[in-house]
Amino acid sequence: GKELDGEPTVTVRAVNSRKNQMCFDWGPGRLLVSNEPPSNKKEMCSCPFIYIIRKDVDRIDERLTGKIQKSQLVRVSKNYRSVIRACMEECTSVFAAKDPANGRQFSSQVSILSAMELIWNLCEILFIEVAPAGPLLLHLLDWVRLHVCEVDSLSADVLGSENPSKHDSFWNLVTILVLQGRLDEARQMLSKEADASPASAGICRIMGDLMRTMPILSPGNTQTLTELELKWQHWHEECERYLQDSTFATSPHLESLLKIMLGDEAALLEQKELLSNWYHFLVTRLLYSNPTVKPIDLHYYAQSSLDLFLGGESSPEPLDNILLAAFEFDIHQVIKECSIALSNWWFVAHLTDLLDHCKLLQSHNLYFGSNMREFLLLEYASGLFAHPSLWQLGVDYFDYCPELGRVSLELHIERIPLNTEQKALKVLRVCEQRQMTEQVRSICKILAMKAVRNNRLGSALSWSIRAKDAAFATLVSDRFLRDYCERGCFSDLDLIDNLGPAMMLSDRLTFLGKYREFHRMYGEKRFADAASLLLSLMTSRIAPRSFWMTLLTDALPLLEQKQVIFSAEQTYELMRCLEDLTSRRPVHGESDTEQLQDDDIETTKVEMLRLSLARNLARAIIREGSLEGS
Amino acid sequence: MREAVLTWCVPLELLCSHPLPLSAFLKTQVKLYTCRACAGKDEMGKMVSVINTVDTSHEDMIHDAQMDYYGTRLATCSSDRSVKIFDVRNGGQILIADLRGHEGPVWQVAWAHPMYGNILASCSYDRKVIIWREENGTWEKSHEHAGHDSSVNSVCWAPHDYGLILACGSSDGAISLLTYTGEGQWEVKKINNAHTIGCNAVSWAPAVVPGSLIDQPSGQKPNYIKRFASGGCDNLIKLWKEEEDGQWKEEQKLEAHSDWVRDVAWAPSIGLPTSTIASCSQDGRVFIWTCDDASSNTWSPKLLHKFNDVVWHVSWSITANILAVSGGDNKVTLWKESVDGQWVCISDVNKGQGSVSASVTEGQQNEQ
Repeated sequence: GKELDGEPTVTVRAVNSRKNQMCFDWGPGRLLVSNEPPSNKKEMCSCPFIYIIRKDVDRIDERLTGKIQKSQLVRVSKNYRSVIRACMEECTSVFAAKDPANGRQFSSQVSILSAMELIWNLCEILFIEVAPAGPLLLHLLDWVRLHVCEVDSLSADVLGSENPSKHDSFWNLVTILVLQGRLDEARQMLSKEADASPASAGICRIMGDLMRTMPILSPGNTQTLTELELKWQHWHEECERYLQDSTFATSPHLESLLKIMLGDEAALLEQKELLSNWYHFLVTRLLYSNPTVKPIDLHYYAQSSLDLFLGGESSPEPLDNILLAAFEFDIHQVIKECSIALSNWWFVAHLTDLLDHCKLLQSHNLYFGSNMREFLLLEYASGLFAHPSLWQLGVDYFDYCPELGRVSLELHIERIPLNTEQKALKVLRVCEQRQMTEQVRSICKILAMKAVRNNRLGSALSWSIRAKDAAFATLVSDRFLRDYCERGCFSDLDLIDNLGPAMMLSDRLTFLGKYREFHRMYGEKRFADAASLLLSLMTSRIAPRSFWMTLLTDALPLLEQKQVIFSAEQTYELMRCLEDLTSRRPVHGESDTEQLQDDDIETTKVEMLRLSLARNLARAIIREGSLEGS
Repeated sequence: MREAVLTWCVPLELLCSHPLPLSAFLKTQVKLYTCRACAGKDEMGKMVSVINTVDTSHEDMIHDAQMDYYGTRLATCSSDRSVKIFDVRNGGQILIADLRGHEGPVWQVAWAHPMYGNILASCSYDRKVIIWREENGTWEKSHEHAGHDSSVNSVCWAPHDYGLILACGSSDGAISLLTYTGEGQWEVKKINNAHTIGCNAVSWAPAVVPGSLIDQPSGQKPNYIKRFASGGCDNLIKLWKEEEDGQWKEEQKLEAHSDWVRDVAWAPSIGLPTSTIASCSQDGRVFIWTCDDASSNTWSPKLLHKFNDVVWHVSWSITANILAVSGGDNKVTLWKESVDGQWVCISDVNKGQGSVSASVTEGQQNEQ
C-alpha cells in the first residue's frame, strides 16, 4: 500500500468495496465540485488502480527471475481489464445517480473506457493468450458477447413479458442469440415459440436440433481440429440441404436464421443493426463459415468484414483501425494508433509494458523495440507530475525506466511546488532514498532561503544542515548571532542546543553552538568551565573577530565575580586578545578585517575591560602565589 | 512581426497532465496549449483542443510569456511597456502585479531560480534591464542596469549553482553579465563586440561539475566551468567560457545560418556526455548542434527543418526530449529525435487547433 498525501491507504487490488471508497475519494468527490476538463477526470479515475496493478507485475518478475509464465501475464492482463471495468461501473452508477446532468457528460467517458477495454481484451487474446486455431474463435466469441451486451436487456424485456414469443422483439432476440453463437439459449426461445404456435412446432424442432448439433470446440474436448472440421463440414452440408429443400419456407424468420447459420454474407449483412459493428459481423461470419480459422488468416477476414459492413457508406474510425491493426498482429501499429487516438498515456504505457514483458516487442523486431516501452512509460510518468499527489506514482514509474528514468526524475522532482512542509519532506525523502544529493541540496536551499526571508531562522538552520550546505549554515549562523547582538537573547534554543555532530558543518555554526554552550554553562554556574570555553573560542579562532568584543564583554561578569575565575595565564590571554582587537593590526590568519571604531561607547567599554582585566590579574597572581606558598 | 512566440511550461495543474503545454501568444492573449495526446478528446477520434486562454489585458503586442519554475505563475511582457504577473494555479488567472518601469517595448522576461526568492528579470528597447523582486507579498523594482547603448533583446539566468547571474544580450553588440554579490549589489562584466551589429539571444549551458562530484570542503564552491551561447546579427552562434581569471572568452564560433540568428537554446542535461544546442534564424532554418565530448570542441550541426518564414524561437522541454519551434508563419511545431537520429515533427499546433501530422514513429515507418 502507499499513502498518497493524506488519502486512504490502498491495500487491495481487486474489485471490492474498498476500491469503491478510493475511487469515490479521487473521482466523484472532487469532480462534482469543480469544473475540470474531461480528460483529467478520466485520469483521476484510473490512476490509483493502475499503480496497484503494476506492483503486481514486478513482484512476479522477481519471483520467477525473468521467466514469466504466460498464465501469470494473462492474469495481469485480466486485472488491468477488471480495473477498467471497475472504473466504468463507478462512473456510470455514481455519477448518473448523483446528478443526471453530469451523468450524460460521463457517458462519453464510459464509452472511451469501454473502447479501451475492448482493445485491451483483443490484445490479450491475440498477443498474450496467443490462442491457436479453435480456441481462438471461442475467445473471440466471448469477446464479442462481453461487448455487445444489448442482448441482456433485450432478453429481460422479452422473457419478462406475458407472451414472450409474441413480443415485438422476440425474433430480434432469437436472431441476436444466433449471431452470438448462443445456440442453447436460442433453442429455448424457439421452444417457447413452438409451444405458443403449434403450427410451427415442427420446424422449430428441426431448427432446434440443428442448433443443438452444431459441432463446437469445448474445453476438455478431446477431438482434434481436423475431426472438428470434418464434423462441422457434415453439419454445414446438412444445413445446406434444409435450405435447398425449402424446409423453413413457411417461416421467413427461421429461414433467415438458417442462412445465418450457413454463414451467408448477405443474410448476415441484413442484420447490421443487431450486429451493431463490423467486428461482431466478423466473429459471427467466422463462427458460421470458418470456425477453425487460424490466427494468421484473421486479417483477411477482418479487412473484408470491415469493408462489407461499412459498405462504402462511411469510413473507418480510429477504433476500427486499431482493431484492424491488432487482427493483423501489427503490435507496433496498434500502439501507434492508440497513442494518437487516446487522450492519455496510461493505456499505451501499460499495454506496451505488458507486451514488453511478454517479450513481444523484441520479437516483432521493432526499430523502436527496446526503447518504446521506456519511451511511453516516461511520457506517462511525466504526466503524473502535474498532479498534486499523483507525482508519487510518477516516481515509481521513473524507477522502472532503466535508461532515462533517473535523470528524468531528477529534472522533474525539483519542480514540484513545495506548498507545505509535509510535501517538502516527502519530496526530500524520495530524493534521499535515491541518493539524489544535488536535488536534496537544491530543495533544502530553496526552503532555507524561504525560511530566512520569513525570519524563521531555526527552520532555515535545520534545512541547511539537512542540505549539508556549509556556506548557508554560516549565513544563518551569522543571522542568529546578529539577532543575539541586537536582542540579547537567542531564538530557537532547542535547535542550537541539540545540534550534535551537525555543529561541525561550518566554523560559524560550531561557534554558534559553542557560544550557546557558554551561556548554558554560565546559567548553571559552572563558571570555570564557561570561562575556559569563552577563552578558547577566541584563541582557537573559531569566533569571528567581529564578535570578539561581545565575547570580551561577556567575560566581564566572570571577571567581576567575588572568586577568581580566570587564572593569571588566562587573564594574560584575554588581555592579548583585547590588545589585538584594539590595535589596528589585523591578526595573522584572520580573514575578518573589521576594525574597532573610534567610538565613545567602544572606548569606554575597552577601558572598563582593561580595568577589569588588570584587577583580575592582580587577584589571580596573589591567589596563585599564596597557594604555591602554602 | 513576432506573432507566435513560445515557451515551455512546467505542467499546469489540471490543464494538461502531460509535460508539453506551451504558450503562444497573439496580440494580447496568451494561449496555453496542451500536447497532441492530451488535447481533450471526448470521443474516440474526435479532437477538441483544450486551450487555456489568459487574457492579459496588455494594451499592445505581447513579446514573451514565461512560466515560473513550478508552473504556478506566468509573467508576460509587452510593447505597452509593462510586465505583468499572473497566478495561474488551478486553471485560473489572477493578476498579481503590473510592473511599470520600462520606457519602451519589453522584449523578454526570465524567472530566477526559486532559491533566490521570487525574482524576475526583464529587458527592453529602452536599453535597460530591470530586476524585479517580490518582498513581503509585493513586487518592486530591485535593480536597474543601464549599461547598454541600444535595445536589450534577451535575458537569461545562469544555472542556480553558479549563484545569481544574469546574461543580457543587446543590439549594441555587447553581452553583459550581472552577478549578485549581496546587500543589493550587482557586479557587471561586459563583453563588448560579442556580435557585430547586435546580439539577439543568450542561453546558458547546464551546470556540470568537472571531475569528481564528491563534496567539497566546507565553505568552498565546486569549480564550475561556466558557459553560455549567444546568437547575433552576424549570423553566428558563439560559445563563451569563463576563464580562471574571471574573464569571458569566446570559445567557439558556430557558423551555419545565412541570416540573423534569432534564438539559441542550450538543451538541459540528461546525463549523457553530449551537449546539444538549438538555433533558429531569419533564414528559416533550425539547426541542432551536438558536441559529443566535453573536451573536444567539435560541434556538428544538423538541419532540423527549413521553414518558409523567419523562425523566432526555439525552446526545449524540461527533459530535453522535445523541441518546440515557433515561426513567423504563426505556427508552433514540436519536434523529437528518433532513435536513428532523425528529427521528426510530432505535432502541429496551428492557430489554436491541435492536429496531428505524424506520430513520433512515423520516421521509422518511412525508413522501413
